This record gives sequence, C-alpha cells and structure tokens, in this order.
Amino acid sequence: MQPTSELGGSALQARTFGSMGTVISLTVPAGAVPGTAGGEGGLDAASAAVERVFDGLDETFSLYRPDSEASRLARGELSLRDSSAAMRDRYAEALSWRLRTEGAFSPERPDGVLDLSGLIKGYAIGQAGEALRSRGITDWCLNAGGDILVMGSPVPGSGTAWAAGVVDPMDRSALLAAYELGGPGTRCALATSGSAERGDHIWAAGAGSRTAGFSGAGFAQVSVAAADIVTADVLATAIVAGGTAMLHRATDGWEIDVLAVRRNGELLATPGFRA
Amino acid sequence: MRTRAAVSAALASAGILIAGWQSGVHVADTGSSVASAAAGTTGATGSSGSSGTSSSSGTSDSTASSGASGAGTTGASAKAVGTYPGSVVQTRFGSVQVQITVQAGKITDVTALQLTDAERKSVQISNRAAPILRDEVLQAQSADVQTISGATVTSEAYLNSLQAALDAANL
Repeated sequence: MQPTSELGGSALQARTFGSMGTVISLTVPAGAVPGTAGGEGGLDAASAAVERVFDGLDETFSLYRPDSEASRLARGELSLRDSSAAMRDRYAEALSWRLRTEGAFSPERPDGVLDLSGLIKGYAIGQAGEALRSRGITDWCLNAGGDILVMGSPVPGSGTAWAAGVVDPMDRSALLAAYELGGPGTRCALATSGSAERGDHIWAAGAGSRTAGFSGAGFAQVSVAAADIVTADVLATAIVAGGTAMLHRATDGWEIDVLAVRRNGELLATPGFRA
Repeated sequence: MRTRAAVSAALASAGILIAGWQSGVHVADTGSSVASAAAGTTGATGSSGSSGTSSSSGTSDSTASSGASGAGTTGASAKAVGTYPGSVVQTRFGSVQVQITVQAGKITDVTALQLTDAERKSVQISNRAAPILRDEVLQAQSADVQTISGATVTSEAYLNSLQAALDAANL
C-alpha cells in the first residue's frame, strides 16, 4: 500500500447528504471540479446532481415511502405489468441476478413482497457516477452507506489509486484491510454487506429465514471489489446469503476480489486483498 | 494388470483435470486445451483396451504395447507407485504443469510443477478466496485511506462511523 498521508486535510473536498436511509459522501480532489469563479460552487452543483439521482430513484423504489411505486406494488394496488419502465427494467435486472447467483440474490422477500433495495442503491451509485462523468468530472469517490465507486485518482493526473478501508466487523472503529480502487486498476467499485446491520434485504438462500438469525451461511461481513458497483453490491449480498458455496461460485464466475469474515472472525480472501 | 489400468485411468482423469482447468480460463488457449484433452482420451482408450483384454486373459504382451501408446504410461506399467508430470498448459495465470503422485493405483496428490506469471514469480492458480490471517491482508490505518467500506450503515450509525470522520475532515 502506497503511503497516502500527503493527501490528508485540505487536498480533498467532500460533500454529504442523506438519502435512501443512509448518508452519501462525494469526495473530490481540491480543485478537480470546474467551479464558478474558483469557489466551491462547482462541487456543490455536482453534489446536488448526485443527490437528485438518489432522491429520484428513492421516490420510485423506496418501501419506506407509502406513496412510492414500490409500496403500491407491495400493497397490490399496482401490477408489474402496469408499472413504470424503470421499475420493470430493475425487476428484470434483479431476476437476472437471481438466476446468475442461483437464487442467493433474490428481489423477493420471503413474504413475497418485491424488494429491489438490494439492487437500487448500487444502481443509484452507478447512475450518480454517470452524472458526474457527464459534467466532465473525472476524479471522484462516491460512498453510499459503505458502498463505494470511484473514478480517476485522489491526485489528478498522478495515476494514484483511491485507498479504501474495510471496516472490521468485530470493531467498527478499526479497519480490517485496505484495497486500492481505480488508478491503474480496473476495479473501481467496492461493496460490503453484513448480516449485523440493516440486513433487511438479505435472506438466507432457500431457507426463507433472514441471515441475521441463520448461522449456516456463517459470514458476518463480505466485501467485494469489481469493475462496477452493482456487481460488487449484488455479489456481496449473495455471498452473505449463500455462504461459502456462493463465495466460490462468485470468485470462479466473476472478475472480483473478495474479503469475507466468518462469524468466528476467520478471514477468507482472494489474492487481491493480500499484503 | 489391474494397477496399470488404474494408473492409465488416473492419468486420463489428470488429463481431464487439466482440460477442465483450462476450459473457461482462456479462449485463446483452446488449442492446448484440446491437446491435453486428447492426451487424456488416449489414456482412457488404453485403459479400456487393457480391461477388455484382461477379461480374455493371458494376452499381457499385446496390452503392454497398447498401454505404451499412451504417453507417460510406459513408466506407469513398470511401477504402480510414482509421480507423473503432465504437459505444460498455458493459462491466464501463466504456464502450468501438473504432476500427479500415484500410490497403489490411486492418485494421492496433484501438485503444480510450474506456476509462474510473466515476471517469473509464483502466483496462485485461481482467484479463489482462501483462509488468511489478519496480518496477511493489506493493512491500513484510517488516516491512510480516503474512503471506507462497511456493511450498510444507517444515517444514525453514520454519525459515529469512520467515514463520517473522514468526511468531516474534508468538508
């Protein structure tokens, strides 16, 4: 790991906002966003664009908003056939992931309610990244509740990767590992799923019970690095739900790195997480 | 006789193993994949031939020659215990050569003889997640990273998170 301490303090600028029940952080190198008259207006505008992406998707897909399209579907007031193209597209994508993960990832809760929240946050991060890119911003780091997508470098033009830390599930005030995102590498996304916190979209595959009370799978936390955030997010979720078998299917079938923490604290890692 | 059949069957399965390893690894290596699969088939043919003749019994000389047609089985016919190298196969992880150890007609060990990448340093053959000690993963202090990944945090949990501290430093 390259020392990055010289990046501390004023070299980076961040903006945060709340959406989708979590906090989203946009971090950019100082001066990397074309701003208005040298101020930080550019960064504020970029952050607002990211926020619009998240809020727009949350309006449609949130099950916490009684007036959302997802809530109307869940209550049976609306059928999928009559739902919006955006809803049907994400549903099709979720079904495709269910097939590819052999059921470890599923868009349906055990009670039958369609719940796309396992997919939507990753999708939103990706769309927000596109919004930044379309504004000509090419060095940034987006973090939505611990799921990360980066582009470029924290030191523009240097080719230096973004350094991401992975929280230790046994001690949330400490880091378990580090991973380099972007820079010269092709893996720009890192997502972590766990059964300890807010695992409400993770169900044990085929068991119909939530992993929080299901120790068979045995992973307290799973981090997946991939080229895109949806793949990283979905596979991290699938491995927590599907256990060791799904972990090996994922590393065999996708170009990813994985760091998995068993409930007893033991680690499993692909070579990319090795020192 | 039985041991030779077992040995050639073992070599055949090693051939299939190599072919299986190779398939799905690299499209450009289809040629060598087919070659190793063909080597495996040769061994399998030898084993079925010898089992056929052993049922008719007494024609051990003819089976010995048919067994020798499979590369590597010449040594196998002399001794039922030993190590047998396979052919070198190109994979995306570099050149791979597999060696099997046979005891009492059964494969007891499969090892990679040659496992290098372009820099000639040893690499893992697959990207499988393997058990690892805590001090073997890439380490970092929160001061050395620009962002932090963790299991989905709620807005409340964010307040006390390392990510919040990082964000606060850059706001």
